[in-house]
Amino acid sequence: MSEYREIIIDHYKNPRNMGELPGADKIVDEANSSCGDLIKIFVKINDEKITEMKWQGIGCAISTAGASMLSEKVVGMNKVDLEKFGEGGVVQMLGGEINAGRMKCATLAFRGLLKVFE
Amino acid sequence: MFDVNKIRENFPILKRKIHGHNLIYFDSGATSQKPEAVIEAMNKYYRETNANIHRGVYEMSVESTRLVDETRTQVAKFIGAKEEEIIFTRNATESINLVAYSWGEENIHKGDAVVITKLEHHSNMIPWQELCRKKGAQLRVVDVNEKGELEKAKKIEMIEENGLKVVVGGWSDLLDDKVKMVAFTGQSNVLGTETPVEEIVKIVKRKSPGALILVDGAQMVPHMQVDVSKLGIDFLVFSGHKMLGPTGVGVLWGKKEILKKMKPFLFGGDMIGEVKLTGATWAELPAKFEAGTPDIAGIVGLGAAVKYLEFVGMENIHNHEKEVLQYALGKMRDLEKEGLIILYGPDAETRGGAVPFNVVGVHAHDTAQILDSFGIAVRSGQHCAAPLVTSFGVMAMVRATFYLYNTKEEVDYMVDKIREVQKVFA
Repeated sequence: MSEYREIIIDHYKNPRNMGELPGADKIVDEANSSCGDLIKIFVKINDEKITEMKWQGIGCAISTAGASMLSEKVVGMNKVDLEKFGEGGVVQMLGGEINAGRMKCATLAFRGLLKVFE
Repeated sequence: MFDVNKIRENFPILKRKIHGHNLIYFDSGATSQKPEAVIEAMNKYYRETNANIHRGVYEMSVESTRLVDETRTQVAKFIGAKEEEIIFTRNATESINLVAYSWGEENIHKGDAVVITKLEHHSNMIPWQELCRKKGAQLRVVDVNEKGELEKAKKIEMIEENGLKVVVGGWSDLLDDKVKMVAFTGQSNVLGTETPVEEIVKIVKRKSPGALILVDGAQMVPHMQVDVSKLGIDFLVFSGHKMLGPTGVGVLWGKKEILKKMKPFLFGGDMIGEVKLTGATWAELPAKFEAGTPDIAGIVGLGAAVKYLEFVGMENIHNHEKEVLQYALGKMRDLEKEGLIILYGPDAETRGGAVPFNVVGVHAHDTAQILDSFGIAVRSGQHCAAPLVTSFGVMAMVRATFYLYNTKEEVDYMVDKIREVQKVFA
């Protein structure tokens, strides 16, 4: 049960930056087909860098915490920064250990964000 | 005498520890565990017999061919069929695709209709969706009530999207002369709903006499006595790995006169009669539908699995599962009354060994992972039946499924640990 650290439970219960972002420059949807988790990501971009991220979605504790923590982490990142951060960065951010069966949950928001720069 | 403790001794994997706990395997709906007899039969085949079938005149090839033939005979006897009506495929999904491609291509035309139900696994839904889309045929879907039982009559709903016309309603409204195929599950893989196969066959014969009937037996054949000679259906499909056999082998049973008229699905070796540079004739049944070298060791394993199931007795297995199910539903209903969980699915009388649920306020994946930390293997997600799961207003469910090796003590343990799930999020 190492996934259910305090920080994950905290972000799950009190998700940060949840909601719509009026005037967003990009809106993307991402889904996990096997479990039905959905996320909608809104970002404002200035000079090719993310200046603000908000999100809406239904998901498990891991995907919710992943989106919540990422929404704080990505401010100031451009495409290269985000790619460098990578799935490894997501795992680190979530506490350093995610079981392989839950990687799709952990990276749901991250995969959505990658689409922002497509 | 059915003795679950003796049965458990035959399954080596049940001795495994998971995160320091005894394994509680509640995911037989996804795949069953294998008894020593099956593992040993496959081992023995590779150690002593391995040779290709229908090829050599030498001893080992003859033995291999005989082993495959014997399994075909066993499987035929197991479901009340003739040997040449048993086609070995990879799994139930491939069996359905075989029918949809081979029979469907020739027999479904613009304006025809195919009937399925909302209970279907994606494997018995997508092949028909795609066939109907391609042919300009209509897909009709029998809806379910709030318990997950098939509706007899219901207000018709029409959906047209992506070039496909879908009509949702009850049995009585969806059957008419346009219907050429009725494909439905014998038991829901999500809710455990046992569909009234005989009753459905009767109404199909009356209202759509020209339609063929395919039953998805993936969740049925492993758990109860099935006799196709008495059911009045045309096709039955199932997977070996859900009935104690290995992965890689499935079965298509079809009525001989229908299979004979169907064109081959896959072309190549072993399915031909005479070959010239300009073409070929097809082999007789069942070879016509078995192109290429099959999973011989898998077929040998399936034979051992059928032998094991018959030794224990399908009626004993069915009764044991019902007993565990009834016990589990009782315990789970108590949790539901406490407001801890939400249960889905019909009453025990019309349900096989499946209990889908959600812990209130906790996502199915989180519940499943916390249960795993206590050694309990349950499935979570949409169970390859997204339209059914989401019709209950949730994106995912946790599902515990039972088989002949599960016990009431295991149920008690799971019920106890479901309480722990809520504590993590308290």
